[in-house]
Amino acid sequence: MAYASGYFKTSYGGDLVLLETRLQKASLAAAFAILLAYPLVASPFFMGLANQVFLAIIGAAALMLLTGYAGQISLGHAGLLAAGALTTGIMFKELGAPFWVTLPSSAIIGAVLGIIFGIPSLRLKGLYLAVSTLALHFVVAFVGGEYETRRGFSTGVVISPPQIGEFQFNEGYKWYFALLAIDIVVMLFCINLVRSRTGRAWMAIRDREIVAEAVGIPIRRYKLTAFVLSSAMTGVAGSLIAYYRGFVSMDAFTLNLTIEYVAMVIIGGLGSMLGVVLGALFVVTFPYVIEGALHIFPIPQSMANEVFAINFAAFGLIMILFLVFEPLGLVGIWHRVRNYFLLWPFRQTGIGGGS
Amino acid sequence: MQIAANIVVHVAMYALISCGYVLIYRVSRVLNLAHGELMMLAAYLLLALGTAFGGSPVAALLGAVVLSLAVGLVLYVVLMRRMTGELVISAVLVTIALGIFLRGVIVLIWTGRGYHPIDQLLWRNPPIALGGGAAISTVAMVMIVTAIAAYAALFVFFQFTRWGVRMRAVGENPLLAAQRGIKLHTTYALAWAMATLTGGSAGILLALDSGLDTSMAIISLKAFPAALVGGLDSLRGAIVGSVIVATAEVLAIQYVDPLVSDVIPFLVLIVMLMVRPWGLFGTKEEIERE
Amino acid sequence: MAAVNPLLRMEKVEVLYQKVITAIHGVSLEVLPGQITALLGANGAGKTTTLRAASGFLGSDDAEVSEGKIWLDGEAIENRQPHEIAARGIALVPERNKVFETLTVIENLDATGSGSVSGNAGRGQMIERVFEYFPRLAPARDRLAGYLSGGERQMLAMGAALVCSPRLLLVDEMSLGLAPRIVEDLMAQLVTLKKDLGLTVLLVEQSAHLALEIADYGYIMENGRVVLDGTPERLRQHKDVQEFYLGQVGGEGRRSYRDVKQYHRSRRWFG
Repeated sequence: MAYASGYFKTSYGGDLVLLETRLQKASLAAAFAILLAYPLVASPFFMGLANQVFLAIIGAAALMLLTGYAGQISLGHAGLLAAGALTTGIMFKELGAPFWVTLPSSAIIGAVLGIIFGIPSLRLKGLYLAVSTLALHFVVAFVGGEYETRRGFSTGVVISPPQIGEFQFNEGYKWYFALLAIDIVVMLFCINLVRSRTGRAWMAIRDREIVAEAVGIPIRRYKLTAFVLSSAMTGVAGSLIAYYRGFVSMDAFTLNLTIEYVAMVIIGGLGSMLGVVLGALFVVTFPYVIEGALHIFPIPQSMANEVFAINFAAFGLIMILFLVFEPLGLVGIWHRVRNYFLLWPFRQTGIGGGS
Repeated sequence: MQIAANIVVHVAMYALISCGYVLIYRVSRVLNLAHGELMMLAAYLLLALGTAFGGSPVAALLGAVVLSLAVGLVLYVVLMRRMTGELVISAVLVTIALGIFLRGVIVLIWTGRGYHPIDQLLWRNPPIALGGGAAISTVAMVMIVTAIAAYAALFVFFQFTRWGVRMRAVGENPLLAAQRGIKLHTTYALAWAMATLTGGSAGILLALDSGLDTSMAIISLKAFPAALVGGLDSLRGAIVGSVIVATAEVLAIQYVDPLVSDVIPFLVLIVMLMVRPWGLFGTKEEIERE
Repeated sequence: MAAVNPLLRMEKVEVLYQKVITAIHGVSLEVLPGQITALLGANGAGKTTTLRAASGFLGSDDAEVSEGKIWLDGEAIENRQPHEIAARGIALVPERNKVFETLTVIENLDATGSGSVSGNAGRGQMIERVFEYFPRLAPARDRLAGYLSGGERQMLAMGAALVCSPRLLLVDEMSLGLAPRIVEDLMAQLVTLKKDLGLTVLLVEQSAHLALEIADYGYIMENGRVVLDGTPERLRQHKDVQEFYLGQVGGEGRRSYRDVKQYHRSRRWFG
């Protein structure tokens, strides 16, 4: 972590710690306290909201690793989520498998699909890679849909909540803590991954692929690793989504879902794990904010009925605004605010308007 | 014979839609993924104008066509212009977001129900017999003619007019074009206007032929592989790509399974991307890592 | 001796890249109408930046003219858009003989901005005259520019710049990558153009020897500043120019570039 005012380490151990200043440690402790206390004060609605955010964070983290750090554009995210969810559904329905079997299986299926989605990245980049992942998404959606109809689940698969012995995960607060724990594990994993050799290799590939290759980084291996890791995580995310909703249906995994995750990554801020959290928070709560706004502001009745459409329009508009005016996302805004206070009374920003 | 007729109609449809993708991509390397929604918008505008100009359907039609041209211009000036010079992928994401936004607005204004503009304009769409027992609708015939006319006009434009040469120059090397004094923004705006004009015409014709609802944008998503197979920066490629994709799709509907037809364009796309990413006629640029 | 009003005048121009890196500083020069003015210097001296400042192409590199003024015939043009500057009669021949490779020769000549000092008819005439000045291009009229040789490309690039009948031609390192014989031919053409069309030229060159042969006046830049200027005769007589730019070693044998640099920077403005 780099602070604009400069930061000096005196030992290798000091270089590796995640929390450097007392302020950071204190703020993390405070955040934890809030998170732990939240279930005590939150209504079921807000518990559900928090759970949704936690679920989204997993998928968004996966996409951030792939797109934000490794620079591989992927528009096939919903397809991978669907694969994870469907694997769980199928294994539950056909084999009665418990969650400690289905979760890893979803991860494995995700990884396998990741290889397939990742092969184009060895030949293509940017736009064409995005297009190939998009095409693969449709293929996955089609295959999934066909499986559903052929096996007679065209209305979807109902899944019962996961259980460890007698303890069932069927209540809001149980999910809350489970998801919080999973999120912490995921975030720690990702933060350390991007600080490691793999993360650095990814960022090199993202920024200047030819130079990365010239420096000796095995591009193919790292690209595929990115896809495989990200897709495995996404598979797990899909599986968790299936368990949380108690229901799997291919209808839920549309292109719009992909765009939502892409929005999380972009609005949050590419290349930052904080962006994952901020982006997921923003995108998940956005429809509810819009709904709340609708209650406050009067609009014609005919329009009020089309809540979906209002969401679409508002969402598209927000995405456009972020892409045009704040390409660094919420993290960019956060950094600017933070740097203002850190650097005060100086005003200088770095070359390239840096953060 | 009917199959052949169906193929020709599909080819015309995909060709008319995909030239919009090619126009914008060739000039600015931006993939306009809002093309489908823009196409739909033109059809809905026709609907609105049809109500407004109750008595004169021709005026409504012309108005819709002119408006679709204007939409492209306005869109570039207001939005896409700010993305020139940014990463191409950002511009593409903006078009995706724009598509989402437009879709929301369209549903807000017109709701998700289906319409039949042709009834509103008091026109009819009788089938035209083609011999051998095959028939296509009048509007489908108009679409074929329009597609041919559009491509002919575009070929002439790019080969023989000064603005056409300029657009090709900008597409090849924007920096050099700017150094030569060519106004980049005007060129891009022109490309967008032409794209929405052709796309909008396709949307209008489709609405007249088979009704209008918010699922029309999906057709443009299927036309996109046609553009890519031919080469995203080649107009003649768009024609060939449309032939390939349309043929594959119609034959699949006929002989395999109608449900598969939705996926066929994407399968063709994937194969093409693995084998020859820049399409059959496209310029082999920085698509591949060396 | 500026008894005539200069066509292009730069006064104490400073260009900053990304707001922090100074590319050129305190650059002042004058280009008199109907003359060929040479801008010389080693790599990285700032010659191209100066040219870019005059033609308006700083924006794409996140650079800007932060100080000083640039006048074209009395009109301020610093930090203007490229096509505005082009419309006022400045044409740029970019470095490395770039042409539109997928367009034919005649299409390349067509692919220019719409502003022209002499209107559409004048344009058509000018295109034909380009073929007269560069007869090697005439048989290649409908050939794709990508298939031309380096020298032909440079001719095409120059021709394209002439199509809009500019008043001022900015030529960026024409000799790069070309055989000396071809460069001599092109330089001779510049002189012909100057005489026939009354064209004013600002010639940025690394090859001081050739440039001084055809120039009417010259400026030498080092490290972002103008350090020497004068007529070609005076410049050729200057010992440092002889050694460092013309490669003519003096009696004492080669001196180190670094030894004498500081000392001579204080010299300015030869009359």
